[in-house]
Amino acid sequence: MISPCPVRGKSLANKEEAPGKPPRFTKSGRAGTEFGMVEFKRVSYVFGSSWALKDVSFTLEKGGFLFLTGHSGAGKTTLLRLLYAGLPLHRGRATVAGFELHKLRRRHVPELRRRVSVVFQDFKILPQRTVFENVALALEVRGVTRQHMERRVRAIVRALGLESKSYTRCAHLSGGEQQRVAIARSMVVNPKLILADEPTGNLDADLTTDLMNIFKQFHSYGATVIMATHNRTILNMVPDAHILHLEQGQVAETTLPVEQDEPHTEGLL
Amino acid sequence: MLRFLRLGWRGLREMFLHPWAQLFTISAVTMAAVLAGIFLLLLHNVNQELIRNRGAVEFQVFWREGADMEQVRREWQRLAAMDHLKEMETFTPEQALEGLSRDLSGQGALDWLEEKNPLPASAFLAFNIPPGDHSEIWAKGLLAELRVLPDVRAVHYNPVQMDLAKSWLSVSRSVIWPVMGFLALVVALVVGNTVKLSMLTRRDEIEILSLVGARPWYIRAPLLASGAFTGLASSGLALGLLRLLHLRLEHVLDFPPVFLVISFLPMEHCLLLTGVVTAVCMAGSWVGVRQ
Ligand SMILES: Nc1ncnc2c1ncn2[C@@H]1O[C@H](COP(=O)(O)OP(=O)(O)OP(=O)(O)O)[C@@H](O)[C@H]1O
Ligand SMILES: [Mg+2]
Repeated sequence: MISPCPVRGKSLANKEEAPGKPPRFTKSGRAGTEFGMVEFKRVSYVFGSSWALKDVSFTLEKGGFLFLTGHSGAGKTTLLRLLYAGLPLHRGRATVAGFELHKLRRRHVPELRRRVSVVFQDFKILPQRTVFENVALALEVRGVTRQHMERRVRAIVRALGLESKSYTRCAHLSGGEQQRVAIARSMVVNPKLILADEPTGNLDADLTTDLMNIFKQFHSYGATVIMATHNRTILNMVPDAHILHLEQGQVAETTLPVEQDEPHTEGLL
Repeated sequence: MLRFLRLGWRGLREMFLHPWAQLFTISAVTMAAVLAGIFLLLLHNVNQELIRNRGAVEFQVFWREGADMEQVRREWQRLAAMDHLKEMETFTPEQALEGLSRDLSGQGALDWLEEKNPLPASAFLAFNIPPGDHSEIWAKGLLAELRVLPDVRAVHYNPVQMDLAKSWLSVSRSVIWPVMGFLALVVALVVGNTVKLSMLTRRDEIEILSLVGARPWYIRAPLLASGAFTGLASSGLALGLLRLLHLRLEHVLDFPPVFLVISFLPMEHCLLLTGVVTAVCMAGSWVGVRQ
C-alpha cells in the first residue's frame, strides 16, 4: 500500500532546511516502484455547488505520459490547475513532484511551479512583449544568467520554428504561433513535469505532428507529461502513453494501473 | 541589492509598455496632489498671517538712570540683531521726555525737567514667537537674558499677549493636524485607488509571472519601483504646478489695507506632500498585487 508521503511535510517542519532551498523529492514508500511523480487520492473539487472533479485517484510514475481526455466540461483543466496549485486542494490528497498539495503552503507555490511547467489553454503569454522576452521570462524568474538564458532561449525558439519571429511582439503572432511561444516558455526550463492543456488546439495537422514530436522528445529525456486533449488523433502518436478519461469530473476509464480504493478517511480528518 | 536595483529598473522600463495607462495614473495622482497642495497653501498662509499678527511677545526694557549712553547704544545694536526680533524701538532719555511731554500737553510742557531728566533710556522689543512647543520657556529665557544686561533696571513683558499667541498656536495646531490627516486620507484614497486600478492593466503580467514560478518579491519589487516613480513624478509635477500658481497669485492680495503677500509652502510641507503621495502610491501598488 502507498504510505502517505510525509517527507515534504517534515521538511517544512524541519527548520534546518532553508525555505529557499529546493525541497527533496518525496519517494513513495511503495516497494518495488519508482517514485510517484503524480499521485491523486480521492481528489474532489467543487466550484460553488457543482463538482468539477469527484473522487479522482490515479498514480502516474516518473517519466510517464498521460493523456487526459473527456468532453468539454469534464474537468480536465480543473485537474491540471490543481496540479500546479492554480486551485487549492481541499478534498483528497495529491503529491506532485515531491510536493504534497493538500499541505502546500503559499510560500512554497513558486517552488512547485518551477518544477512543473504548464502550457495553458489560453497561452497566457504577454502580448506586448516579444517572443524572446516571453520565453526568457521563465528563466528570468529563476535568476538564470543572461548568457545562459540567451543560449537556451535561442535553441528552443529555433526548435519550435519561431526563429524569424524572435523579436516580434506576441500580439502580432497567429494563434498557432502564440501557442508555440507558450510551449517554448514551458520547455525552456527543462521541466521534470510538463502539463499541457490542449496544446494542439489551434494547429494544423503538420504542426500538430511537429509539436507532438517535441513533447515526445522531452518525454524521452525523462520528463513526465500530462496532456489534456480533445484531439483523438494525437492519442496514437504516443504509443506508450496512458489515458485517463474523465466524465463529469469522474474517472470513467483509464489505462493507468487501478488501485483498490482505500477506506475514505479524508472527511474524518 | 543589485538584484533589487535590477528589478526596480525593470519596473520602470515596464511602465513604458503601457504609456497611456501610466500617463492617466500620473495625471490623476498629480491632480489629487495639486488639490491637496492648494489646501495646504491656503492653510499655511492663513496660519502665517495669524501668527504674524498675534504671535508676538513684547518686552520693555528700562536702563538705570544715568547709565552710560555709549554702552546702552552698543546694547541696542546687539539687541537689534537678535533672532525672531520683529520690531524694535529705542528711546534715549531725551526722546522719552520729548514723547512724554508731547503726549501730555504739547510741545514744551515739561521743559523744566530738561535740566534733570528723570526718565531712563528704554527699548521696546517685539519678538515673533518661534514655532514649537516651548514658546513659554523660550520667552522666559528671553526675559532672563534681557534682565541681566548691564545697567538694566527692569524688564516688563506682556504675558497676556504671550497667552494669546500660545492659544492661537495650540488652536491652529489642533486644527491643522486633523485637517492634514484628513487631507492625507483623501489623497491616499484617491491615489491608492488610481494606482490599484492601473495595476489592472498589469494583472495578466502579474498572474503570468506567478504561474512561471516567480517569488512574490520578484513580482513586487518592480511594481513598488514603478509606484514610487509614479508618486515622485506626480508630486514633483504637482509642486511645479503649485509653484506656477503661486507665482501668478503671489501679489493678488498685496494691496492696502490687506498687504498680504502669499508665501509658498515651506520645505517641510513640500516634503510631506511628496512623502505622503509616494508612500500611498507604493502602498497602492503593493495592495494591487493581492488578488
Ligand atoms: N472558475 C470556475 N467557476 C465555476 N465553475 C467552473 C470554473 N471553471 C470550471 N468550472 C466548471 O467546472 C467544470 C469542469 O471545467 P473544466 O474547465 O475543468 O473542463 P474541461 O474538461 O477543461 O473542458 P474543456 O475541454 O472545454 O476545456 C465545468 O462544468 C465548468 O463549468
Ligand atoms: Mg479545459
